[in-house]
Amino acid sequence: MKKITIALAGNANVGKSVIFNHLTGLHQHIGNWPGKTVERAEGTLFHGDYTIDIIDLPGIYSLSTFSIEELISREYIAKEKPDVVINVIDATNLERNLYFTLQLLELGRPMVVALNQMDLVEKKGICVNRKKLENFLGVPVLPVIATQGKGIHDLVHKAIDLANKGQRIKKINYGKEVEEEIKKLTKSLKKNELNYPKRFLAIKLLEGDEEIEKLIKKVDPKIIKITEKYAKKLETTHGHDRFTVIASERYKVANEIVKDCVTIGICKFKYSDKLHEITTHGILGYLIMILSIISLFYIIFTFGNFFSEILVEYGMGLKLVYEQYFGTGIASNLAWGIIEGGVAGVTIILPYIFPFYFILGILEDSGYLSRIAFLMDRFMHKIGLHGKAFIPLMLGYGCNVPACLGCRIMETYREKLIAVFVSTLIPCAAVTIIILSLVGKYVGFGWVFLLYVINLVIVFILGRIAFRIFPGEPTGLIMEMHSYRMPHLKTVVKQAWFRIREFIYIALPLIIVSSLVIKVLEVTTLSDVMEKLMRPITIDWLGLPSFSGTALIFGVARKELSLVILAARGGTTNFSTILSPIQMIVFSLVTMLYIPCIATIAALVKETGWKKAIFITVFEIIFAIFVGGIAFRLLTW
Amino acid sequence: MPEKSMKLIDLKEGQKGIISSIAGGRRVTQRLTDMGLTPGTEVKMVRKGRLCPVEISVRGSNLALGYGVARKILVKVKE
Repeated sequence: MKKITIALAGNANVGKSVIFNHLTGLHQHIGNWPGKTVERAEGTLFHGDYTIDIIDLPGIYSLSTFSIEELISREYIAKEKPDVVINVIDATNLERNLYFTLQLLELGRPMVVALNQMDLVEKKGICVNRKKLENFLGVPVLPVIATQGKGIHDLVHKAIDLANKGQRIKKINYGKEVEEEIKKLTKSLKKNELNYPKRFLAIKLLEGDEEIEKLIKKVDPKIIKITEKYAKKLETTHGHDRFTVIASERYKVANEIVKDCVTIGICKFKYSDKLHEITTHGILGYLIMILSIISLFYIIFTFGNFFSEILVEYGMGLKLVYEQYFGTGIASNLAWGIIEGGVAGVTIILPYIFPFYFILGILEDSGYLSRIAFLMDRFMHKIGLHGKAFIPLMLGYGCNVPACLGCRIMETYREKLIAVFVSTLIPCAAVTIIILSLVGKYVGFGWVFLLYVINLVIVFILGRIAFRIFPGEPTGLIMEMHSYRMPHLKTVVKQAWFRIREFIYIALPLIIVSSLVIKVLEVTTLSDVMEKLMRPITIDWLGLPSFSGTALIFGVARKELSLVILAARGGTTNFSTILSPIQMIVFSLVTMLYIPCIATIAALVKETGWKKAIFITVFEIIFAIFVGGIAFRLLTW
Repeated sequence: MPEKSMKLIDLKEGQKGIISSIAGGRRVTQRLTDMGLTPGTEVKMVRKGRLCPVEISVRGSNLALGYGVARKILVKVKE
């Protein structure tokens, strides 16, 4: 058995993950990069005599220091030295992809280029001369259609071949002036043994890369001074800052390659452009967006309601069987609390969260979510975020836990904090169940809609306040607009599963433990005491019945539990006999806002630390009670 | 032909310009140049809505840019 390590690298959205899934199938595990909140996907491929370890690096556009992802990727390739790097590039968007390829070549590892989306290339009437491309880059270039699994076998063979034989990476010429400075710098770097190739270090020093400067300062601070001199010279001859000079040179090379290797014929691929035009249209685009979001919710909750009723029935059946075997004593009752937590988790994942994330995944993979991000950009700017923050907010309607973790896509800490905060205010599937079973069933759908609108207004206002508290210019939107494409089913399912897994790992254990705690409170009648203590809030301020206190407290464990408690304490599932319509609205409003459930708090702690998590939680409790009381007074005016 | 200098945001739909410089901080400049908006590159304004950001075509593909970003990019236009 021989061991080989392969790293997959490439821009975002080029089909890297599809190739990763093809290669590793079920043998993959997703963790975090050590000490970072960036996902690390790793998998194993058993191929003949080889055990191949495959690392899927984050999708990025450059190897500079713009994001942690970029740093992680270049550190990984330079320090861990994978045997081969597979650079996946989108053949329909060669220039920008080659810019990244050139940077990978600077790192000097054996490399093979996977020229992906060859089917689209044909449809778009583009012709890529692969042999010429190979000559330019000095590494093998193989055609791939990842979504159909075509070309992947050859890719693996080539990679194994390179891993065994090794490969000398050709130096790409960046123009006379730049090359001169690189040459001089490489010479001065000669004595230093660092993990990175000398040429890469020299280029990064010329760019003014802070991380590399720090590294060099430790071993030879003189070099920084020399670099300053060289960089100054480049800046004066080119008239732009040093970073731009180098980037321009790379793009010049990429442009030359494209000019020489690509011929553009007649595009037979019109409908996706038309679709793009309509869905980003100034008026029509917004209408389509609103319609598609509303129908998404409609489909999910009609389907979910139907499906969960069946599951709940099975759950009840399970309880009867359980009681037959274990009786209804205290110990058995407590143990049932644990099972109940698990069952409840399942009855919310299967009917609601999974379908929701599945459809969202289809929208994402086809490219529609980035159109929504585009349309929402200016609106999101008002709360100090840019359009892409809309995506974690959407996730929040399924479950707040993946939403919080999804906020990692934000570029700065400040933006992540605001995004995390507002996404905990989004009503998740469990809250929607409460609202539908109370307000939807007994008061009317107009009120349900109104509650959601009120929620959005509150999100907007609080978002703006958070923006004031953490001021700073929001990062502007810079986003690629890919052509629409057919979503790849396997990738979509996998994506949905990964998001659900976050729920299962973080939320489910907490749900189960807290269900047990609740049973203890019930059995020991401690809940009665709590109910009494809460009366000034529940009865006097919110105008709710006393037993709603227990319901609200238990909702912390999992939100839809408050509905179960409400029924148990009120002694009926016909809520119209125990709550007035106004009480239902107030109760729903408070549950919508009052606290991120315990699983979300855990996700908050993970992403923002203890202090901020506690602050957000306490704030939301006070705020929800405040809003609920106001609503009660307005409604009973 | 005389050239006029203006902000990218002021291009009309369908109008082309050549990037002359980016008047932004290091982060934005770095990001934009990494995405291919280097000086001397031709850009075309594809779409400019009232509510949404702008969409430009550069180096054979399309990019969405927020208003704030599009304001920082200076272009030269042939009159």
